[in-house]
Amino acid sequence: MMSAFRRARASLFERGSGVLLAQTAFVYLFLYLPIAVLITLSFNDSRYAVVWQGFTTKWYTALLQGETVARVDPTAAWNAFMNSVGIAAATVVISTVFGTMLAFALDRYEFPGKRLFTGVVFMPIIIPSIVMGISLLLFFNIIGVQLGIGTAIIGHVAFGISFVAVVVAARLQTFDQTMEEAAMDLGANELETFRFVTLPMIKPGIFAGALLAFAMSFDDFVVTFFIIGQENTLPIFFFGMVRQGISPGVNVVAALIIVVTMALVAVAQWFQGPTW
Amino acid sequence: MGRDSNNRASGIDAQLVQRVRRNQWTGAVVNLAPSAFWLGVFFLAPLAVMFFYSFGERGAFGEVLLATENLGLQQYRRFFVPEGLSVLGAVWTTTAWLIDTVIPGTQSLASTQPTPYVRLLFKSIGYGILATVVSFVVGYPMAYYIGHIAPEEYQNLLVVLVILPFWASFLVRIYAIQLLLSANSVLMSAFALLPFVEQGVTLMNSRFAVLLGLVYIWIPFMILPVYSSIEEIDFTLQEAAMDLGADRFEAFYHVIFPQSKPGVMAGSILVFIPSAGAYVIPELLGGTDSQMIGNFIADQFGSAGHWPLGAAGAFVLMGVMLLSIAAYQRGGGDLA
Repeated sequence: MMSAFRRARASLFERGSGVLLAQTAFVYLFLYLPIAVLITLSFNDSRYAVVWQGFTTKWYTALLQGETVARVDPTAAWNAFMNSVGIAAATVVISTVFGTMLAFALDRYEFPGKRLFTGVVFMPIIIPSIVMGISLLLFFNIIGVQLGIGTAIIGHVAFGISFVAVVVAARLQTFDQTMEEAAMDLGANELETFRFVTLPMIKPGIFAGALLAFAMSFDDFVVTFFIIGQENTLPIFFFGMVRQGISPGVNVVAALIIVVTMALVAVAQWFQGPTW
Repeated sequence: MGRDSNNRASGIDAQLVQRVRRNQWTGAVVNLAPSAFWLGVFFLAPLAVMFFYSFGERGAFGEVLLATENLGLQQYRRFFVPEGLSVLGAVWTTTAWLIDTVIPGTQSLASTQPTPYVRLLFKSIGYGILATVVSFVVGYPMAYYIGHIAPEEYQNLLVVLVILPFWASFLVRIYAIQLLLSANSVLMSAFALLPFVEQGVTLMNSRFAVLLGLVYIWIPFMILPVYSSIEEIDFTLQEAAMDLGADRFEAFYHVIFPQSKPGVMAGSILVFIPSAGAYVIPELLGGTDSQMIGNFIADQFGSAGHWPLGAAGAFVLMGVMLLSIAAYQRGGGDLA
């Protein structure tokens, strides 16, 4: 009895790679089927968006010509998009510089309270965004700052720094410091050493960190939702649309967002190698 | 500063610069200062404000009372202790209720229910655990396939395909799930072909939809760490085990799986934490019975207008996160 079970078990594992292949294919299907359906439905010739009625590009044409399709106003969408790009750009610049410096400090120096400080650096990545968003809202309320694009950037930098620091610090761990010593021995000062030796070697790490910070900022909904006041970003605009239900206009905006972001990231990964 | 006219001054400056540069603390301070400032002022200080609020009381018009006589643990008490029970009674009620809920069969140990907030908290933790388990069961075999069986030259491509959706918009992907699950969609129409499923049925606004959304969004975080630990395993050990008489299952279970454990643990914490603290997914995919603690917190700061209770809820949630991280580190896990 027992041995029959063992044999069955073993033979399942014997034929394992076929099972695993099927399983893997299934997960890829799971990951991409919803996206494929979304893109397909954005070409659907129906007001009620979920049932396939035939191919059309009329929703795209209408939106691109600036007409409102089923409550989706393309001008508002474009403004929200521009806000998102602006916020993400500012966030990337500030958090890449500060986060890289932070990664260096954590990698190179011992100081009292370092473990605790490292924990604090990880916290913005770990804590639920809803807690971060609401606490920032309370804070801005108390100090009396007008909510808007500026406060959104401040909040995004607060988690952007952590993402950059973690990615860059991982890169620094594999960094060979004798290279820097060699440069200094040959007469370079700290800045020259950094510019010509350190920076080129950790550039992929900084690039990956910046990309992550950009994506996190561009895509953030929860934190932004609480601290941006009356302004819109693309995720907030999109959330408002989705709340009102499925419609052809939302399908088109969603399809555009997903195709453009995935294409950009695919290009970045192509140049950079897999990044996460 | 002109060099010729201020020779002496710049000489002193240069000396000073030299001294500052040589000092061992300069580098640390310069590199740390901006981030320490930013995280201190725009991350820790807001959390401290919220923590302070959680000890306050709500006034008659929804305002927050923070005078000394109003400060206390009343919000935490309201969160954990049902009306008319002692703290000990609340502990017993909650434990009994948990046993009743988790173990099937009607023991009816609990005579009273714990507070709705406690039930919501455990429901969120349950969602987190369920999402983690499903991600593990579905993701592990896939990570194993990519890390060990797939041909070397395709590995990078397969990994990129796992990461790619994670970079694409979170909200758009939730919307895509919504499209799949709503009535008369492709998937639901296919289900309706089954004999026992009615036409026009929808899975939207259900607990299933929330769980599916959680797994869909967070499963890459399980697959990637497991993949990287499997990729590093020396598979000649498996052959060695089999030469010594283990069958394939035993070789996997006793030799390979333990070595992939760091990845599994990292993946579990990465899926559990955001799942238990989810806000958007239950908001968009869930119905009234599938809201989570995140939605409760947001409600308290929005329509329900009870800021101190919301703040207390937020810190209870943070406590759960910290406990799970502590458990992870006790298990030998390392952050980063």
